[in-house]
Amino acid sequence: MEPLLKLQGVSVNFSGLKALANVTFDAHAGEVRAVIGPNGAGKTTLFNAISGYVPSTAGTIYFKGTPIHGLAPHDISIKGVRRTFQNGGLFLELTALENILAGLHVHIDGSFLGIVMGLGEAREAEREGIARARRLLDLMDLGVIADTPVKDLSGGQQRMVEIVRTLATEPPLLLLDEPVVGLSPPMRDRMMEIIRRLAGEEGIGIILIEHIIDLVMSGSDVIVVLSSGEVIAEGTPEEIRQNREVLEAYLGHA
Amino acid sequence: MNKTKIPSTPSMTKWRRVYYLIPIVALVIPFFANEYLLWVVNAILVYTLVTVGFNLILGNLGQLAFANTAFFGIGAYTTAILMVYFDVPYFLAILASAVVGGIAGFLASVTALRGIRLYYLAIITLAFGELMRWVYLHGDKVTDGSDGLLLPAASFFWIPLDSEAPKFYVFLLLTVIVVKATSNLMRSKIGRAIVAIRDNESATASLGIHTARYIVLAFVWSGSVVGIAGAMFAVLTERVLPEAFGLTEVIIHFGMVLVGGTGSIVGSVLGAIALTALPEYFRQFPGMDELFFGIVIVLILLFLPKGLVSLLHRISPVFQERYYRD
Repeated sequence: MEPLLKLQGVSVNFSGLKALANVTFDAHAGEVRAVIGPNGAGKTTLFNAISGYVPSTAGTIYFKGTPIHGLAPHDISIKGVRRTFQNGGLFLELTALENILAGLHVHIDGSFLGIVMGLGEAREAEREGIARARRLLDLMDLGVIADTPVKDLSGGQQRMVEIVRTLATEPPLLLLDEPVVGLSPPMRDRMMEIIRRLAGEEGIGIILIEHIIDLVMSGSDVIVVLSSGEVIAEGTPEEIRQNREVLEAYLGHA
Repeated sequence: MNKTKIPSTPSMTKWRRVYYLIPIVALVIPFFANEYLLWVVNAILVYTLVTVGFNLILGNLGQLAFANTAFFGIGAYTTAILMVYFDVPYFLAILASAVVGGIAGFLASVTALRGIRLYYLAIITLAFGELMRWVYLHGDKVTDGSDGLLLPAASFFWIPLDSEAPKFYVFLLLTVIVVKATSNLMRSKIGRAIVAIRDNESATASLGIHTARYIVLAFVWSGSVVGIAGAMFAVLTERVLPEAFGLTEVIIHFGMVLVGGTGSIVGSVLGAIALTALPEYFRQFPGMDELFFGIVIVLILLFLPKGLVSLLHRISPVFQERYYRD
């Protein structure tokens, strides 16, 4: 099967400092792939390179067989690679509904003139978008907070809204940067369950960065271990558990 | 899914139609107001557009760009020059001011796009305004320099604009059209994209939104709106003077946005009314008028840091302007 995402020798340098060195791996549809590693290992840089936020200095990134390295973040997003942000990427002054609507932006039609003049087709497209956004929020039991500004929501609700927003366009590949950080243990489990369901039932490819090793071991199909910008191991949770190098470099004991 | 779980009805944004009553009621103003009072009302209409345009950049896009007086002056001089030298009908001059104002907005957006932000953007755009003032002063072969450019008698199609009442009806029409169009724009995917950029530019791009395109769009629209305000201002004052577009003017525009409420169209209207009407009202206290004016602004910002529009928000949350339209 053709991989959903194919990284080959991807390197990122920040003024001489190697943030990513020769990263190569394939990610597949329906797979939950965890990226782990100590602080500064290059996990977020990897996400930034895939989603176009930092230019890679070497290597190629293919999504569904076409190159996406060198494209702007919005173009990569339109192609179907969507991401979340470590410290939250929500629009805090906007309501949950408006955040989802922003997520649906490229799916809501309407010419500039149609919008300015309030013409029927633009209004209709907007109404369809609103109905779809409300439906998505309802599906995640977030209907009651649809019209609440996101800044007034709890940390858990904010995470959920961000996931819904990212999923709104049904992207084939999701990059989740620490999706459970700041959540209570029951919320964490619920979030991981949702993530597993997205991969298992919807066939979405998921790459996530996570620190909580138990969650990674129980929730992912494949683990990629980064250390100092290099992939030092890749394998199933079982294989990673057995890997001496990983234990030494990352888990800190042998 | 259980439908009762959705507390908000689709009419969340529909109550806004009550705002249509305001211009309709305003139609009777010329029957009660004298020429001076009507002049003040006309100035309020001009400054409504000045503030709506400025607020789009400051409040919605969240950029500290102060090119507003440049847009205003460019709009005024475009109309004046076209009418004085080329006998262009006022209606076409207004359109030209919108276009030239939009071009000025585009130029201002280039600085923001090049990553010049915050105080750097503020100082560069202030310099743009001062540069334009220099052009008006020293381009005196065309602009008549500090004497100002005297406008010929204007008429809007067949309506001669020879007193305040006809100006009022034309200005009201223009203001309603521009405010409504801007409101349509803000309550759409375009308005959401602009506010999203303010709240989190990286995250906006991650949703497939071409952020640069919307930054340019916001500046061009702002420039056009304020350009139209300039075209109105030219006919209101009948003489376009360079000193009308100086640094004090920027501060007044800024004050209108803050006193009204950032990021709010209703706030823009309230700010324009307050900061146009108050100085006129305080004229009855010669020598003290500027002091009173300053005190009132300080008090408003002290007790209503989110502007006059927050008084409405306190009455009911339905007055919160939202970025969608159902």
